[in-house]
Amino acid sequence: MAVDTMEAPALVDDRAPARHLKAGVVYAALGLLLVVLALTALDGDRTTTVAFDRTLADADWALPTLGAVIALGAVTAAAGAWMIAGLAHRWFKLASVAAVTAFVLALLVWSYSQPGTVFRAESILAGALFLSLPYMFGALSGVVCERSGVINIGIEGQFLMGAFTGVLVANITGNVYAGMVGAMLAGALSTMLLALLATKYQVNQVVVGVILNLLALGFTSFMYDQLKKADGLNDAFSIPTISWGPLADIPVLGPVLFQQKLFVYVGLVLVAAVWFLLYRTRWGLRTRAVGEHPAAADSMGVDVNRLRFWNVTAAGLIAGFGGAWFTIANSLAFSKNMTAGLGFVALAVMIVGRWNPLGVLAGALIFGFTTQVARDLDASGSSLVPGEFLQMLPYAVTLVVVAGLIGRAKAPAADGVPYNPGDK
Amino acid sequence: MRLELKGLTKKFGSFTADDDIDLVVEPGQIHAVLGENGAGKSTLMNMLYGILRPTSGEILIDGEPASFSGPGDAIAAGIGMVHQHFKLVGPFSVADNVQLGREHTRGAGVLSAKAARRAVLDVSEQYGLALDPDAVCEDLPVGVQQRVEIVKALSGPKTELLILDEPTAVLTPAEITELLQIMRNLAEAGTSILFISHKLKEVQAVADTITVIRRGKVVAELEPTASESEMASAMVGRAVSLQVDKTPAEPGEARLEVEGLTVVSDAGVKVVDGLDLTVRAGEIVGLAGVEGNGQTELARAVLGLVKPDAGRIAIDGRDAHGRSPARRIADGLGYIPEDRGRDGLVSEFSVAENLVLNQYKDAPYAKGGVVDAGAVHRRAVDSIAEFDIRTQSPDESASSLSGGNQQKVIIAREFSRPRRFLVAAQPTRGVDVGATEFIHSRLVSERDTGTGVLLISSELDEIYALADRIAVIYNGRIVGEVDPGTPRDVIGRLMVGADAAAAEAGPETGTDAGTGSDIETSTGIETSTGIETSTDEDANGGDR
Repeated sequence: MAVDTMEAPALVDDRAPARHLKAGVVYAALGLLLVVLALTALDGDRTTTVAFDRTLADADWALPTLGAVIALGAVTAAAGAWMIAGLAHRWFKLASVAAVTAFVLALLVWSYSQPGTVFRAESILAGALFLSLPYMFGALSGVVCERSGVINIGIEGQFLMGAFTGVLVANITGNVYAGMVGAMLAGALSTMLLALLATKYQVNQVVVGVILNLLALGFTSFMYDQLKKADGLNDAFSIPTISWGPLADIPVLGPVLFQQKLFVYVGLVLVAAVWFLLYRTRWGLRTRAVGEHPAAADSMGVDVNRLRFWNVTAAGLIAGFGGAWFTIANSLAFSKNMTAGLGFVALAVMIVGRWNPLGVLAGALIFGFTTQVARDLDASGSSLVPGEFLQMLPYAVTLVVVAGLIGRAKAPAADGVPYNPGDK
Repeated sequence: MRLELKGLTKKFGSFTADDDIDLVVEPGQIHAVLGENGAGKSTLMNMLYGILRPTSGEILIDGEPASFSGPGDAIAAGIGMVHQHFKLVGPFSVADNVQLGREHTRGAGVLSAKAARRAVLDVSEQYGLALDPDAVCEDLPVGVQQRVEIVKALSGPKTELLILDEPTAVLTPAEITELLQIMRNLAEAGTSILFISHKLKEVQAVADTITVIRRGKVVAELEPTASESEMASAMVGRAVSLQVDKTPAEPGEARLEVEGLTVVSDAGVKVVDGLDLTVRAGEIVGLAGVEGNGQTELARAVLGLVKPDAGRIAIDGRDAHGRSPARRIADGLGYIPEDRGRDGLVSEFSVAENLVLNQYKDAPYAKGGVVDAGAVHRRAVDSIAEFDIRTQSPDESASSLSGGNQQKVIIAREFSRPRRFLVAAQPTRGVDVGATEFIHSRLVSERDTGTGVLLISSELDEIYALADRIAVIYNGRIVGEVDPGTPRDVIGRLMVGADAAAAEAGPETGTDAGTGSDIETSTGIETSTGIETSTDEDANGGDR
């Protein structure tokens, strides 16, 4: 067999030390900058307080801010120096993670050192998980679509439809759970249009997505104005927080995991479920095949466009449920454009998560955490930084994470390419 | 399985791709379907595999009429197909590719990786097709990918008929020999095989019966004892000369000098690795090698499309460093790209526009920055006549032409201006016998006018037919330069990385027959043992 006699091509050695000048210089400079700024601008007696506000009322930790910031800055700079000096390829990721984490932690420690601010660890982490949900639902919906080869940039629109329909159905039926089901169906109906146009009529999927967003925005805004005239159609509904008895009293874990609303558990179960379905089942194998190489799937008797149609429709159920988060989970009535572009951020989370449900979980948590911290600092009113800048924080962190850690993310090969069985 | 086609016809609008095709494949028989590109072979196979629906006619399986609404029906009926363009999902493992569409589950749709792996191993052991079920397909060499395709086709519920559509187009000589042996083994085990090809030698070596299709019609039924020229003239419909007439070369000064050229790919692989090569005026240097050993990058570096990471390229005595592709073309560099759809033509442009793509801003085609449509048109009319380009008019879009005629457009474009050096990459890929004959003779006359020609080809036949000197490329390096009298097996070994000394010592000493038995099969079809077995089978075929 001739193939066995072939040598592997001359690959660049994985273990040989290589310099990463650009990344190294950036991290080293950031680290040094932190140290210098801390030494000039921070009082030596300042402390950062970490409180376990929900379970242990009196167990506050006080951290010397100056020392912590200098130590974390040093870690960032050291990771940068290591990259400049040269390191084996496999260590590069570790060094990047260390540098980024230390830098972000240093900023956090510094921010919470203002007199009067306390890092309420349990509230902030629990809130972070809750705030990560729209990203999670939106990105999971995107994963299901794009893994089947259909680009869905209409998630924002499906959020709006879900948010609106959820409240409306809950008001009409008087049952908040019926509202959730209504939200899912609304999301699915709106993606069904995309599914139909993308598979049967092979329309450009980006165009359809844009139009679906505008359509949803216009429709829900119009309906909102109409509903204002009638009483009892757009009242806020809320759902209870589920408390898991004694589990809820465990420090940190309790408030974060065992004292949340139904939406949190649905989100986490969905991450696991979509991962399992994608990588461990027949449906997942076919879905990934259809997204990578539809002609291959077709030649094995898989009906490409039918699978795409139903997958996109099912993804709409997830996005619609994500829409209900905006109203029902937050105990709010519907208001115009209340999703505020989070559906687009969810698409970014999907890419940051590399089209993998577990990656989506990580990406959504980062977004949720930074959003929560920004809100918390803003609310405390004594932040160094104006609130508008704090609201940019999640996106700034995304840029750093994507540039520093993720690198080039590869979409499914047939993503966005309509499949015409008559082509071949 | 006994497969019978009765009056099978497929029309696309007013165009008849297949017209009243009758064909019978007996059980355990290798039935070759021979025809030029566009003769209707692939359409026929796609009807058999349920991808296309026949306009009229019948498919009978063991005497029973069958109708397929999709590939799933064909698979269920016992038909497996290996497509010309592999249908493998790159990031999937071998096992996942094989089980796609008929997954092994533990119930409730949950995959059983163990059962899938076992199933691949079972089939690969049964037919002697070694495969690692866990390997990721996109990392495998092309020959192994094809083996995956064959195992996939054989893994149907009861595959009794295998369709192989141009299976050897992408294989090395060694892999071709191996594939032909696999086909014989399968046929012996009772599997019927439909073998689609336009390569005469392979058909001759392996087929029991040959059906020749031309313009959608069956024009001949031949025995494998038929000569190559008989087959070729049946395919083309006229007498074809398979030999290229050429006089010995008279090499002049160096037109291309490549020294220590290194190109590193985006993935960090040295695809061209310190390559040295010289091509002189008035000679054709054939660059033989398995595809993916750096030929593409070499050609692109010579044209200036990729920047070398090290080394020097001189074209016509001038250092090419810092000269743009446009500059090099203006200086007399001609280029026939290997992928004409991507690099050779703007398929939406008309034939006339494509013919002046590299001269549109020069006189007489442009005046003061405005294209002179009349001059372009006159030029197109001339070129169409001179190069026998079959098109309805110069204003047809290039995409409406057949592959061979598209290639003629490129050749007409490159040959219709003064040039000093020509890079011809896979100049006859996907081009039928008639057009190949024409392109070969043009390349030789090009050489005779004093141009230096670098011929990059993965077809050894083509290299032998044209080259005055043969350089063998392997892993981005020239591993041997030999004269065209060198036996195929020597070059075959060089192509898979055996070093030059061993390659030449091999056939004489015969001492490395044990270690070299793998290599022994890599010698191309004529010299391999394949031909003997096939003669036996010819006798069998005659008996039937």
